[in-house]
Amino acid sequence: MTARFRLRQALVIARLEMKRVFLARRSLWIYALAMLPAVLFLGHAIQLRYELREARQGGVVAPAVIETVETGMSEQQVLDVAGKPGQDRERTIRRSSRREEQGKEIFETREVRTRRMIYFDGSRRAYLWFEDGRLQSKDVRTLLNFAEDQEVYAGVFQYFYLRLAIFFGCLGIFLNLFRGEMMDKTLHFWLLAPARREVLLAGKFLAGWTAASVVFSAGALVAFAAMLWPHIGAGAEAYWQGAGAGHAARYALAAVMGCAGYGSLFLAASLWIRNPIVPAAVLLLWEASSGFLPELLQKFSVLYYLQSMCPVPAPLEQDVPALLRLILAPAAPLSPTLALLGLCAFSALVLWGAAAGVRRIEINYSTD
Amino acid sequence: MAVYKRGYQRYEGPRAPHAERLLVLPREAWRRLTAQRIVTALLALSCIWPLLCALFIYIANHAELWAGLDRGFSRLLAIDETFILTFMKVQSVFSVLLAALAGPGLISPDLGNQGLALYFSRPISRLEYVLAKMAALVWLLSLVTWLPGLVLFVMQASMAEAGWALAHWRLGAGLVLGFWLWVALVALVALASSAWVRWRLIAGAVVLGFFFVLPGIGVLVNAIFRVAWGSLINPLQAAYGVWCALLGAEMPAGLSLLTGLVSLALMGTLLSLALERKLRPVEVVR
Repeated sequence: MTARFRLRQALVIARLEMKRVFLARRSLWIYALAMLPAVLFLGHAIQLRYELREARQGGVVAPAVIETVETGMSEQQVLDVAGKPGQDRERTIRRSSRREEQGKEIFETREVRTRRMIYFDGSRRAYLWFEDGRLQSKDVRTLLNFAEDQEVYAGVFQYFYLRLAIFFGCLGIFLNLFRGEMMDKTLHFWLLAPARREVLLAGKFLAGWTAASVVFSAGALVAFAAMLWPHIGAGAEAYWQGAGAGHAARYALAAVMGCAGYGSLFLAASLWIRNPIVPAAVLLLWEASSGFLPELLQKFSVLYYLQSMCPVPAPLEQDVPALLRLILAPAAPLSPTLALLGLCAFSALVLWGAAAGVRRIEINYSTD
Repeated sequence: MAVYKRGYQRYEGPRAPHAERLLVLPREAWRRLTAQRIVTALLALSCIWPLLCALFIYIANHAELWAGLDRGFSRLLAIDETFILTFMKVQSVFSVLLAALAGPGLISPDLGNQGLALYFSRPISRLEYVLAKMAALVWLLSLVTWLPGLVLFVMQASMAEAGWALAHWRLGAGLVLGFWLWVALVALVALASSAWVRWRLIAGAVVLGFFFVLPGIGVLVNAIFRVAWGSLINPLQAAYGVWCALLGAEMPAGLSLLTGLVSLALMGTLLSLALERKLRPVEVVR
């Protein structure tokens, strides 16, 4: 038997398995998990486009005009400087106040005439709040902030996609490859086929990896496109022609390699350990706490190599307590090529261990 | 009497009280839970943090041990709501891991072997069945949550100056009440996943996913839409908000006691409905 023949066998097994992985009802939740960020970014893009259209309909003022408006100005002064606002709403409210007079507390209620004007300068909205004809507050909110959206995408990709979606997706896909067959009582068909166990393992891994890579890299790319969509005409084209395409490719590559890293681990765990949930939980906690570990230990996590492949560093989590921030010391990232090679070597090593596991596997349909 | 004359005769002997009969279910479930070595190992592992906390309380109450150190150190050793919240956060992770290991085996074997019809042919209602199964898990989770917490509170009360317990009763009450809510939620998640997912491994993964992926989705919603209501679908954040309110600690942004409670109540209701839908004594004959 030549290596070429075994490769062909592995490819046949992969093709047969692929149908099972892609079309199984058990895999539907993985599609949902992979596409969730894309759906949310798409929803955000639709919301932004709607808000922009609404804001543009009300008229656009020069950005400098918004800067000149200051609190304390009268309504007429603001109207003279900025012109007719995009949105203008007036109403009268009742406001209670308390004062002391000769040692007695006196509660008073008076009517206050309020007015809210909204101006739009093409990317920012200024909310001006008047009380009794005077500007009390000015709140400027950026509707279109490309840099912020890129940072949000980087955070979503590294905190949600890599740590949770790909992690749990691979857990579902790769546990199903052998343990699922054990549960369906169909594994013996594969073991009776005239193919080496290692070839079976390679075929199944190839099927799982292809399916997971297609689903998760597609999810990452669709989410990236949805993030760019509202910025078309406002810097997205220039970004895409510059570094954008490269960034998208690196995110997709990180997703593919994440599937290889976590997939090989879960496949090996399903062959070596009867209850792979325990190592999965340990791995989840290890990966979640990797940022707090010493630099050397951080290199023993899949996430370290995946984050090295990402083009934009993830923003620091907002809810990390101050004490933990002090000990948070992310290790210096590797170059993307080294990270890719490192993950390939890691996956190959784990699969080599899995091959030893598949050689000793015995049919025991009663355990699951 | 000849064999052919032995027809059906109702059992007329002494009968155990209803509650005692019902206790058979949790007893059996408990026996099955503790038979898993991994559950026992994790139970032992989850005692490490309470032991460390006990050591912390001992050191905090023996000023002579750190007499040479500066005053700032005494603030670090305060037994206050921050200490209790840290204890609760760590133990809640252990409770989720325990539920992921122990929970899936509670209902799925009964469903898989079509045993529900046998259960419900006896005078046991569906609610009683769920409560009985839940009792075993609740007891297991109590061993790592409010029971060690209460021991720590009593230990601190006995070591601190007189009147500490009265002045800080809210810490003890908040700890117990907060953990009761948490244990009920975790047990419901474990039972619902056990009822819906026949495969134990995947059911365990679903429990982990509920407590790790849902918070991720909540953060995702908050980050993409620049809102704060995403925290409402985050069970960890909702429970943390309730704990903070019960202990009198500073509330996390975007949450109040009411929103936290409403969020937890909604999750509990949905999980109960999921359980109710699946637990039907129906046997499908193909």
